[in-house]
Amino acid sequence: MSDKQLHEDQKYIEGLLGNNSFVIQAIYNKFAPKVISYIKSNSGDEDSAKDIIQEVLITIYHQAKEKNLQITCPFDAYFFLLCKRKWLNELKKTNKKEVTINEETLSKNDSALELVDETDLFEEKQRLFNLMFQQLGTACKDLLKATFKIKSMEEVAKSLGVTYAYARKKKSLCIAKLTKLVKESPKYNQLYN
Amino acid sequence: MNNQDHILFEDYISKTLSLEKRATFENRLKNDQEFKKAFTTYKDLNNFLEYKFGNEEQSKAFKNNLHKVSEDYFNKEVKATKIIKFLPWKYTIAASFVALLGLFVFNNFSNPTYSDFSNYETISLTVRGEQESTVKNAEIAFNTANFAEADKAFKELLETDNTNTEFQFYRAIANIELDNFEVADLLLKNLSKGTSAYKNKATWYLALSKLKQKENKACINILKTIPEDAEDFKQAQKLLKKLL
Repeated sequence: MSDKQLHEDQKYIEGLLGNNSFVIQAIYNKFAPKVISYIKSNSGDEDSAKDIIQEVLITIYHQAKEKNLQITCPFDAYFFLLCKRKWLNELKKTNKKEVTINEETLSKNDSALELVDETDLFEEKQRLFNLMFQQLGTACKDLLKATFKIKSMEEVAKSLGVTYAYARKKKSLCIAKLTKLVKESPKYNQLYN
Repeated sequence: MNNQDHILFEDYISKTLSLEKRATFENRLKNDQEFKKAFTTYKDLNNFLEYKFGNEEQSKAFKNNLHKVSEDYFNKEVKATKIIKFLPWKYTIAASFVALLGLFVFNNFSNPTYSDFSNYETISLTVRGEQESTVKNAEIAFNTANFAEADKAFKELLETDNTNTEFQFYRAIANIELDNFEVADLLLKNLSKGTSAYKNKATWYLALSKLKQKENKACINILKTIPEDAEDFKQAQKLLKKLL
């Protein structure tokens, strides 16, 4: 990605990152109508469009914040393609219809496709990690939560009433446990090949 | 991978390894694919957790705000389509005649005014830090057109956070509404020279402020600087045509 030029529409990403109501409103005004009309003409309604748009914007926000997402194509193409894929996957899940994802109509823009793939991968990983985190034991969950919330391991150790060395060791073992759960899931090889 | 390896991962990430051990570690990353893959997964999970718990509140604030904007948008959308559907065709035609006539009169006999073009909507402000109640006051005052109150609240907010472009922008609008043009224009000028998300919007409102002050020449000059990709470009062109 680094050799490609940042698109001026990065401003929308920055706006989302800053939780800027005005930019979010602009995104809805400019880009939502196309998504709504697409979903409506493909077995969906306004409520489904509303959910899809919100979910996609939340994913973009997370990716921007955690991974410093930089877009190299128009926001319009990127956003529409993400919403479209999400909607088609939704249809597949509910089995309403036999669906093939045909991206010919939109794939004029390779860099958009590439970005969308990245975002999809990011979302899949997040989903898997969240799911596996829930399966950890309470002790590990609490320790990890405290570790990453409080940030200073000394304070974490103090708040849990254990030594610093023990807290650090425990932290790495809990992440190891989580790693194991993630690796054992059937999704793992798909996400890390 | 055994537990020892995971402790090593942790030490590497938290940069507590000695230089020598660090070099050995990096060497192993290069040569041992299995080790590298395990480390990548560990790092991914570490980053994920760091993000998830380190940004919990910000994520929540974002989701709430997004939800609000979405509700506003879709409520308007639904209302707009319902009204159109509800009207029988006869009324639609009659209404368009009236609208056309109105447009004709408007285009030819009236001067454009600030309120014809001002197009801001109700706002929902971003809360950062501990100013929650003042932010709420600003928001409510602004949305109920109590601009004197809104100005007071924004002024107070800017005293502790003077680089906040969102507050600057809405304080400027409140001041246009109050005819405090000096305050409004100064804020807008600075925003229009900046690089924030409000840059183009501020230029547009600076033009509208001039319009309200009946300084048409200044208004025209500012309108000409609004770039094509600005959200209000079309409106700006429309206003420009009327003024020229």
